[in-house]
Amino acid sequence: MALLDLTEVSIRFGGVQALLDVSLQVREGEIVGLIGPNGAGKTTLFNCITGVLRPDSGHIAYDGKDLAGVKTHRRARLGMARTFQNLQLFGRMSVLENVMVPIDAFSPGTPVGDAFRLPTARFEERKAEERARALLYFLDLLDVADLQAGDLSVGMQRRLELARALASNPRLLLLDEPAAGLDARETAALADVLFRIREQFKVTMLLVDHDMALVMRACDHIYVLDFGRIISEGPPEDVRDDPEVIQAYLGEVA
Amino acid sequence: MSDLRLVRWTAVGVGVALGVLIPALLTDFLRTLAADAAIAGLIVLSLVLLTGMVGQISFCQYSFAAMGAFTVGSLVAGHHWDFWLALLVGVFFAAVVGVLVGFVALRLSGLFLAILTIGVALFFDRFVLAAGNWNSFSGGLSSWRPGRPSFFGIGLRGEYAFYLFAFGVLLAACLLVWNLRTGKTGRVLRAVRESEVAASTVGLNLTAWKLTAFGISAALAGLAGGLAAVRVGSVSAGSYDFLHSISIAAIAIVFGAGSIASAPAGGIFLIFGREALIDWTPFSTQWFDVILGAGLIFQLVHAPDGVVVDIERRITRRLRPPRQMPSESEQRSPERVPAEVG
Ligand SMILES: Nc1ncnc2c1ncn2[C@@H]1O[C@H](COP(=O)(O)OP(=O)(O)OP(=O)(O)O)[C@@H](O)[C@H]1O
Ligand SMILES: [Mg+2]
Repeated sequence: MALLDLTEVSIRFGGVQALLDVSLQVREGEIVGLIGPNGAGKTTLFNCITGVLRPDSGHIAYDGKDLAGVKTHRRARLGMARTFQNLQLFGRMSVLENVMVPIDAFSPGTPVGDAFRLPTARFEERKAEERARALLYFLDLLDVADLQAGDLSVGMQRRLELARALASNPRLLLLDEPAAGLDARETAALADVLFRIREQFKVTMLLVDHDMALVMRACDHIYVLDFGRIISEGPPEDVRDDPEVIQAYLGEVA
Repeated sequence: MSDLRLVRWTAVGVGVALGVLIPALLTDFLRTLAADAAIAGLIVLSLVLLTGMVGQISFCQYSFAAMGAFTVGSLVAGHHWDFWLALLVGVFFAAVVGVLVGFVALRLSGLFLAILTIGVALFFDRFVLAAGNWNSFSGGLSSWRPGRPSFFGIGLRGEYAFYLFAFGVLLAACLLVWNLRTGKTGRVLRAVRESEVAASTVGLNLTAWKLTAFGISAALAGLAGGLAAVRVGSVSAGSYDFLHSISIAAIAIVFGAGSIASAPAGGIFLIFGREALIDWTPFSTQWFDVILGAGLIFQLVHAPDGVVVDIERRITRRLRPPRQMPSESEQRSPERVPAEVG
């Protein structure tokens, strides 16, 4: 059974059919790629999966359960995490705090515990900070832990998005263009980072990116989206040679 | 870092000492003003929480204060309740009203939230507190006259004693808000302010946290109202109207909702600034709001985050020069990251 199972998901914005009958499966442990030209609907699909948008029709099942009506924050509790293409860091908070927030979200502490500095609150706080620092170390951000997130370079902000997404210990990680704005060296390193993440966090991934080399290298299976429709799917080699895919990308270049 | 802490806690210590000693030398009249300043400080503090942390503006904090004041007034003066119990109920009612307003405000921010809260304040002025509508609460045409309580056997009838009590409540409230701010609650609320979509995606229930913030903020304002009821000894609608809410919001913005120090500073400025205007200048109190408006413009241009926040930032910068951003090339490559997390 697939961890994430989309059946005929459709959504339109006014005159734009952003997604049309999109069906897609992500099995536990896989890294699945989702590619397609600009405006194909990839981010929209992520928004539907995380509950930021409600599809007009179709079903999204996670771990065998239908997600209809499940709020975004509940989906996080079920083990979903994502990064944002248009960087949604907590800009005026420190790098460390950015990674502590998801841990806070899952901790039982209440404002009463905080206000009176109860021992349980202080204990949770220490635990959260330790875990956040370990994650920053993992993504090589420990040196900048005390800086404001908004002051980091784009490359570091992308890594911070990853660290924050991992902080809630997700089962499913949705990565929306993690390589956008990275230089060649950083992009090359990213594939290894993703492999290491899969290994250590036992996390399943759905990866959106325009960097073909990265997607081809990292993914077990690839879906191609064009004008809201899946036009091709399969192992990387097959998708690369699919005439329809070449056509879609050539069409974009022309 | 430790330099910074030293300076901060020294400043707090000096402030507390001055706050205790100076009023000891003042006349009783000035002591009542000092108590009023502490109470106004509590209301500024309620905005430090709501505006400073969650980024939500409110122009109805005195309506929440009125919940505290009129509950205390009607229960103590009308039903002979014990003051402390009445205060507790008043704070609770204020929090409930805060949560209700927060509920309506859930999807609003900025201008729309401002308009909504102005509407709430006017609803209180014109309906809830207006004579004839709900006299068992508002007292009708006469105002409630609750007497002052005693605090663990110490009578609070004397103006200095009452001032010390109000000052102590303000300090305790500042400490609690400080703890909230530096703990999980503060982090979570600031995250909601910075990016709602990211906050909900990492698992935060936006509704619950926003309502919590509104509830705590309104409770603080309600506490201020409960104290004001017995400070003055009479509770009347005019002291809690819409214009008071506007002034206090302006003060929170001018001084900076980002800092807890704005609470005592803002309270002092509101009460003594107005008094100084009457005593030392030919202007009447109406001009105070004009001065406040001018202050607002000055602050928006020269210290957009507020005067107190700006001063704090300058001190911090002097004590701790900003760390240089390590350049990307100095960074270790992520390939060499050891593998110890999971
Ligand atoms: N909230 C919205 N309201 C209206 N139209 C939208 C909205 N979100 C997306 N769209 C439209 O839906 C289509 C798909 O957009 P989407 O952002 O999902 O594309 P994408 O595949 O992520 O593209 P890119 O590679 O540029 O990130 C576009 O035509 C876009 O303009
Ligand atoms: Mg996109």
